[in-house]
Amino acid sequence: MNLNAGQILLGAFLVNNILLMRFIGLCPFFGVSNAVGTATGMSGAVIFVMLLATWVTWVLFHVVLVPLGLVFLRTAVFILVIAALVQFVEMFLRKNMRALYSALGIYLPLITTNCAILGVTFLNIDYGFNLLNATIFSVGTGLGFTLVIVLFAAIRERLADAPISRSFKGYPIAFVAASLVSLAFLGFAGLFGIAF
Amino acid sequence: MSASQSAWVQGRVWMVLSLVIVCIAAAVGLARVYGVTKPVIDQQKIDAVNQALAAVLPGTDHFEEQVPGELWYGFDAQDVRTGAVVRVAPRGYAGPVETLAGVGLDGLVTGIVITSLKETPGLGLKATQAWFRDQFRGKPAAELKLDKDGGTLDAISAATITSRAVTNGVREGIEKYLDRLLPAQPGMSDTTGDE
Amino acid sequence: MNKKPSRLSYFTSGIVVENPVLILMIGLCPTLATTVSARDGFGMGLAASFVLIASNVVVSLVRRFVPNSIRIPIFIIIISTFVTIIDYVLQAYQPSLYKVLGVFVPLIVVNCIILGRAEAFAYHHGVWDSFLDGLGKALGFTLALGVMGIIRELLSAGTVFGFAVTPAGFRESPVLFMIFAPGAFLLIGILKSIVNRLTAKKEEKA
Repeated sequence: MNLNAGQILLGAFLVNNILLMRFIGLCPFFGVSNAVGTATGMSGAVIFVMLLATWVTWVLFHVVLVPLGLVFLRTAVFILVIAALVQFVEMFLRKNMRALYSALGIYLPLITTNCAILGVTFLNIDYGFNLLNATIFSVGTGLGFTLVIVLFAAIRERLADAPISRSFKGYPIAFVAASLVSLAFLGFAGLFGIAF
Repeated sequence: MSASQSAWVQGRVWMVLSLVIVCIAAAVGLARVYGVTKPVIDQQKIDAVNQALAAVLPGTDHFEEQVPGELWYGFDAQDVRTGAVVRVAPRGYAGPVETLAGVGLDGLVTGIVITSLKETPGLGLKATQAWFRDQFRGKPAAELKLDKDGGTLDAISAATITSRAVTNGVREGIEKYLDRLLPAQPGMSDTTGDE
Repeated sequence: MNKKPSRLSYFTSGIVVENPVLILMIGLCPTLATTVSARDGFGMGLAASFVLIASNVVVSLVRRFVPNSIRIPIFIIIISTFVTIIDYVLQAYQPSLYKVLGVFVPLIVVNCIILGRAEAFAYHHGVWDSFLDGLGKALGFTLALGVMGIIRELLSAGTVFGFAVTPAGFRESPVLFMIFAPGAFLLIGILKSIVNRLTAKKEEKA
């Protein structure tokens, strides 16, 4: 595919937003989007790990798995790499970067089972991106995740005080709000001719 | 002291060993599954291509690949040319929309089929709908334009991008190979042949 | 409230009382992404069911040999093995379904239900119990996805499993909205509110 960097970035950021259009990474989306503070913390951790995971898995896949004819181990290798990566990042931050650790630390264990990370690493391979494009794609995706989750946290902070009928309290109204936000994102369809 | 130490070592050894055993068992199992399914998957892809080719160029017995992955000539059981099939992959809403278009010897479209659609779930999905595809039949390449673009084809509501991609992709694909789609004109059969 | 729940309850609890999707709200990604039609919803449900049941059984089989400290990596390897198996089997024998499910087949590996059951149930229970537990949760998951798929297909195309069940007029201009992302969010929101109402009523009676 002949996509330029801007198209990949905007496509991942807005047009095919990972949460609202692709439906990947929804568990943390509804789990931590209660407050703006936790939402930004989670997003920071996601961007950080997503970028690392993209580099490690891309290199592993193209340098190790493909030449050895072991592509069928992709799923197993990727998820283990991400799990290990999260452990290392947590250890490294705790030892060397206390400030960052106290900001992101509690979200890191949740990230292993965050399908946004694994989803991005799979999509990088499926789209046949080179390492540069994969990096751009994962940054765009991470920013898109951040934008939506923070926007949504603000909406949910308001919803908490709104008079909502009892059976719609909590999850249902969050889904309805998500429906409206994603309706807005549908407006980005085909923006600048971006289509991937 | 040494007893507890050796127990600790044993525990460590068993930890590594069990991990290795599980990994090997999983890898061996997957290699077997891969070995069994890979030929089926490859065959599946070939079959799908042949079926799709036959669907867009009715009355064809076998195909000959002219440009790998892009152009096929069709022949009937008596080895008489029936037409050609062009494969295009214009960019749709969320990815390339792989489309096959059959062209008869008269230069008119005999049918199109969308073979792979990496769209966001739902969006544009209806481009595979029969009524949309049927509009292409019997038209020359030049007439393939959406009504919104000054042509005659109706776009699928809510899937204009995909509709336009398919329409323009098919038109451009046919025009690209136009000189090779049509059979030799009567009287000038010596000028074409096998170049 | 019994001390030891009956075997049957391992099976039945997953279907209604602890329905993974509609009560526990886990495994949302495939629930929303792959329920464009009834076939896709059930197909995704069955693929995840295979992985859930098989990994529950295998985890339970090997639980005595697995050191506690590395149980999670081993669960992940077991689960990803079954995910890869179903991935290739679908590619080989159900290519059209595979095309629709796409990246969500390998993503079964991070479906919280599966790792959750391995950790919370199969690691502490016998093979037969783990099988029943997996079967029940799998059935609950598949039913939820199937219901979503049926409703979305009915509204967005006027068909169920590809069979026309609505008047031709409706099928020509259906509620296309339901096929898109916002439709999926709206539907699960409404379903969850119905579930909330029913459980609230039950609690009032009790």
